[in-house]
Amino acid sequence: MTGDEQPLALVVGIGNRDRGDDGFGPAVAHRLMERVPSTVRILERSGDALAMIEDWDGIPSVIVIDAMAPIRKPGKVHRFDLTGSPLPIGFAPASSHAFGVAETVELARSLGRLPQCLVAYLVEGEQFGTGAPLSLAVAEAVEHVAGRIVSEVLTILKAKGKGRHA
Amino acid sequence: MANRTIRVDYIARVEGESSLELSIRNGKVDAVRLSIFEPPRFFEALLRGRGFGEVLDIVARICGICPIAYQMSGVHAVEDALGIEVDEPIRALRRLLYCGEWIQSHALHIVMLHAPDFLGYPDAIAMARDHGEAVQRALALKKTGNDLLRLLGGREIHPINARIGGFYRVPNRAELAPLAEALKHARDRAIESLRWTAGFPFPEFVRDYEFVALGHPDEYPMNAGRIVSSAGLDIAAADYETEFIERQVPYSTALHSVLKGRAAYLVGPMARYALNRDRLPADIRTLAEEVGLEPVCRNPFRSILVRGVEVVYACHEALRLIAAYEPPSRPFVPAEPRAGVGYACTEAPRGILYHRYRIDADGTILDASLVPPTAQNQDVIEEDLREVATAGLALDEEALKARCEQSIRNHDPCISCAAHFLKLRVDRT
Repeated sequence: MTGDEQPLALVVGIGNRDRGDDGFGPAVAHRLMERVPSTVRILERSGDALAMIEDWDGIPSVIVIDAMAPIRKPGKVHRFDLTGSPLPIGFAPASSHAFGVAETVELARSLGRLPQCLVAYLVEGEQFGTGAPLSLAVAEAVEHVAGRIVSEVLTILKAKGKGRHA
Repeated sequence: MANRTIRVDYIARVEGESSLELSIRNGKVDAVRLSIFEPPRFFEALLRGRGFGEVLDIVARICGICPIAYQMSGVHAVEDALGIEVDEPIRALRRLLYCGEWIQSHALHIVMLHAPDFLGYPDAIAMARDHGEAVQRALALKKTGNDLLRLLGGREIHPINARIGGFYRVPNRAELAPLAEALKHARDRAIESLRWTAGFPFPEFVRDYEFVALGHPDEYPMNAGRIVSSAGLDIAAADYETEFIERQVPYSTALHSVLKGRAAYLVGPMARYALNRDRLPADIRTLAEEVGLEPVCRNPFRSILVRGVEVVYACHEALRLIAAYEPPSRPFVPAEPRAGVGYACTEAPRGILYHRYRIDADGTILDASLVPPTAQNQDVIEEDLREVATAGLALDEEALKARCEQSIRNHDPCISCAAHFLKLRVDRT
């Protein structure tokens, strides 16, 4: 893919590498580098979720990866297809701070600016302390989710007839 | 009805964690408490013992919305301590960088956070279904501001390219050219957005504020100027702590700042505009008149219009700076350590941001003082709330809560900065 060519898929790892399990999204994004074809754009976002609406403009398939507060078991991975419906209650924490992922997705839906396909992978975190590393359970989920995303984007690209590596 | 307590446990659409409690006794507003429960963040202590060259990367972490303000107050204060004078192109680039932050911060607040209050929506998501064009404009404006921050700051959140004496890397003219095109569209969008907000229903409400802002003889203030007020204050940044004092209140993790011997004062767009309107270009002053903005605006609900004027100005100013840009002969002036104390005040989107650093001979920070705009506006926000609640006593609880939250958002408080702050609780007994 040349620099001017529009990607066919976008993977966004959301989170802060310096806040324990919040670094899950960036960790998966980093693991995906050089494992997906060049027609797939990999991004890390640490703060401004609203910017994702511009990030995915014109890109048909988007996968976002984020961490969430624990519900059942730290390290447990949840996959949601957000193309037709919002994140379920309990997975979309309310925030007084500007816009989070759930709010950004719903704003894009209101504006008709969702991609054709939008999937979210969420991992239940355990520790979010300043300077903390990924917890063992969440660290173990990084490779698992990266592998699932590689398979998923290759399926997407194959459907578009462009599933080869760069 | 005579006695009641109204609480807003988490005030949404502000940056950070805070709550509001109104106590109404015998039909009168008895107490107003804006409680900031964002944990104290101890940035001033964190700076002690660090090298002066680390200051900008540390203070950029204080706020995700206004990191440039922290970097700009920090860089000017440290340079003041070290006796550094920067070259004119560096000064121009710093002003261009500040334009980017004003555009993205104001665009976010005007449309995504404040406009739903006026139009009766719970949030921008619901508002977007009926006012999609306005929200699209805001997103595009925010993107332009972010693009400016990314080019000059290295990235839009917690930027990394500013350094003591200048920048690690400065752009060439070709890199700025695409931004100029984007800024022309942004200026048109900013004007459309301002005209859209001018049609909002504004409550009749006027306060007699003492406005405090930077004042500069030649330019609408961002990075330079003396601290001036509508009551005649006119001091250098070095005299800030002589005239202003921070005090603790028992119900908040944020300090409240007041003028010694006087009282609460207002910083931010309304103050900047009131004290510096004649330094705006004539066409922008005309635009302000067209949207009904008086030369001195004392209705805080109309602050959304002042912010809109400032977005137009920031686009205009950024275009002017880009057109005049010649890359500096060197990206930064070398900085040598020396013992000293440095002071600076710059205009964050929410108002003046004061920094002081004491540095020893080997360049170590011995102590620091940072006073953000929200800490300075807290007493004014509480005073506004007392009058807004008094005027709204006949409203039902939900309507009164909504009006109070709108009143707080008039000042775009950045609570994360102030804790270095929202719940509404109204107590009627």
